Amino acid sequence: MNSNLVDPAFWSRLQFGFTLTYHYLFPQLTMGLAWFLVYWKWRALRTGDEKYNQAVRFWAKIFGLNFAVGVVTGIPMEFQFGTNWADFTRYAGGVIGQTLAMEGMFAFFLESAFVGALIWGEKRLGPRYHFLAALGVALGSWLSAYFILVTNAFMQHPVGFQIEANGSLGIASLRTYLLNPWGWVQFFHNQMAALVTGSFVVPAVGAFYTLRGRHPIQARLYLRAGTLTALVASVLVAFPSGDQQAKMVGRHQPVTLAAMEGKFVGGPMAGVAVIGQPNIAERRLENSIEVPGALSFLAYGTFQSYVHGLEEYPEDTWPDNIELLYYSFHLMITLGSIFILLMAYASFQIWRGRLASSTWLLWVLMLAFPFPYIANTLGWLTAELGRQPWLVYGLFHTRDGYSKVVSNGDTIFTLIGFVGLYFVLGLLFLFLVGREIAHGPDDEVVAGRGQESFV
Amino acid sequence: MIATWYGIVSFMLIVYVALDGRNFGAGMLHWLVARTPEERRQVVAAIGPLWSWHEVWLVGFGGTLVAVFPRLMASAFAGYYLALFLILWCLLLRGISLEVGGHINDRLWQGFWDFVFVFSSFLLAILFGAAAGNLVRGVPLDAQGNFSMAFFTNFSVSGHVGLLDWYTVSVALFAVVILAAHGASYLTLKTEGPVHERSAMWAKYLWVAVVPLFLAISVESWVVRPDLPGRAIHDPVCWLGLLVAIVSAILLISGLLTHREARAFLGSNGLLVGLLATGAGALFPVMLYSTLAPENSLTAYAVVANPRALYLASIWWPVAFVLATTYFVFISLRYAGKVSVKRDTQAFY
Repeated sequence: MNSNLVDPAFWSRLQFGFTLTYHYLFPQLTMGLAWFLVYWKWRALRTGDEKYNQAVRFWAKIFGLNFAVGVVTGIPMEFQFGTNWADFTRYAGGVIGQTLAMEGMFAFFLESAFVGALIWGEKRLGPRYHFLAALGVALGSWLSAYFILVTNAFMQHPVGFQIEANGSLGIASLRTYLLNPWGWVQFFHNQMAALVTGSFVVPAVGAFYTLRGRHPIQARLYLRAGTLTALVASVLVAFPSGDQQAKMVGRHQPVTLAAMEGKFVGGPMAGVAVIGQPNIAERRLENSIEVPGALSFLAYGTFQSYVHGLEEYPEDTWPDNIELLYYSFHLMITLGSIFILLMAYASFQIWRGRLASSTWLLWVLMLAFPFPYIANTLGWLTAELGRQPWLVYGLFHTRDGYSKVVSNGDTIFTLIGFVGLYFVLGLLFLFLVGREIAHGPDDEVVAGRGQESFV
Repeated sequence: MIATWYGIVSFMLIVYVALDGRNFGAGMLHWLVARTPEERRQVVAAIGPLWSWHEVWLVGFGGTLVAVFPRLMASAFAGYYLALFLILWCLLLRGISLEVGGHINDRLWQGFWDFVFVFSSFLLAILFGAAAGNLVRGVPLDAQGNFSMAFFTNFSVSGHVGLLDWYTVSVALFAVVILAAHGASYLTLKTEGPVHERSAMWAKYLWVAVVPLFLAISVESWVVRPDLPGRAIHDPVCWLGLLVAIVSAILLISGLLTHREARAFLGSNGLLVGLLATGAGALFPVMLYSTLAPENSLTAYAVVANPRALYLASIWWPVAFVLATTYFVFISLRYAGKVSVKRDTQAFY
């Protein structure tokens, strides 16, 4: 039997990984979509053009469904710190508790107070307050992301802590902890990636309506706003934020960078593999086609820079799943590059006024929306697999962090429970979102009567 | 400082119970007070746009617990493992039932989600009640501050106890009745028409039923933890809690008798807060009592984070609290007044 199956840390990792990956499918859309709602609400206030309000009403329903699933799948995350990772909480709770608490107190109260009003309260609030509700939800969701990314940044690159008499970690400087440079870079990179998801979903719906010949004014609005935002966000994900993120890994986790690139032997003029598969047993990259010097340049600024290889480090400090890490990282980069090319071309067609007549491009835009979800997930796999074998980098091993009193059977039971519950939840979500998209925005009704048919 | 933070953490949990307790209560009474699909939408609308804001008090409590008492969070949450996941799954079902129930105007669809709403509300009231019972009775903590618990063992309240025993089951029953009464008072205040009439009737029955159950629970608690009353007498917080509870009970009774709904609901909230505060005061400084050996109990002093963590939290927590309350008041004012069948049930609220 595989030793993983009797290892309690494995099951708790699998449960946390599964519930978190699933949960993050929803906030990554709402964090991007929230700014579309703010923008359209603001345009509606400034121009009085009813099409912006129609867009907000339509997307607020999609937003609401995403937000609801995001909330109910997010609450278990915080509690799993205690249920499955009790020894980690004992060790680092005195530090990371600060941001977990601040996320609830500053961000969740803000979001949850205004989200109901944003989705259903247009009449009750009136246009100005409705705009403020959209702004409150958008700010709350980004604030929440900042606090949780600072928490993750502490696990990647611990700062602002002290070691207490009992060996656990305590907070030493909240300022240092909150302003962790890793946190800022990760926040920028992650938020732009979330914006990519939102700005792929919006034009996908626009393309769907255009191809079906429905809702022409709304479809044009979604296509233009979505595509242009997607271009900007896709570029910013790669440069400067992705570039800075990789440099940060090179500086603070050189063994992770080596594993991400499948570099077993160190040296100058290190290349980036365009194609290749890591062979851990024989310690080499199979079938590799490399761009020479690219990794040296990207990670450390010159082609002659020395990039460390995995063999320079003891094997027990290597990330424990190098293949998955390598494929995740490379596929993320590939997808990110395709996003830039696709959206640059689509924006060019918009500028020429030819997007609506380019059937094949509309098909591509309509079908492209799942890929940012995949890229976001791959990015998080890269970050979290790259951190292994540490739970707090350089200080605390993942194998030491799980709850010793919880049996494997209990964890497997709750994991299966989550899989079942989340499968049904996913079906329900797709059914309801599909229904809203099939119904479409209420742009056929006379202006001013729109709210009444809002069911 | 440690006592203050024990107070703040308890306060957050108590506020959560008072706020979400009314939603559990409304959920448990859903089928009894609302008969037609329109009336059932009215109940959901009365819970209003702020149910997730209520739930955030639980999340804020969890986060603050990690920040201030990390070793308590670690011991308690790992020990209550399966019970806690049941709570999380029920919260998930309850939230989904509220959010998607109104999405499709179809009797079968809404009937199904009404069932999920009622079912999860009942289970949540039972589980939170049993959890409260467990906090008073204690858990089988070993010398390392760890425990794991079966759902039930031999239903006795000492030694290797389970989640459910005669004491925690009776607290769970008490929780069901008092939260249902609380929910009925809320629905009386927030609705009009037939739902209002039925809620007012149920509020009276349920609050009458609370009285003997409360006396029984008090005696039982005394039997289970004979040390608690002695400690409570010397604790000013317990006296304050008791005072709040008594004043609130008077408000509640006069509100019920004179049909002053806001007064009754205020009394209902105050009664819950007062009783829970008395309990929290009596338990201090023990946060998790050991049924195996009292010296294994985890006190606030043993599980607290470093003084700097408490100091830092004392700076940002009040700011966050004021902001959170401001949003709440702002939205509540927009949604003030009664929910009517005609006006508010077309959409969600």
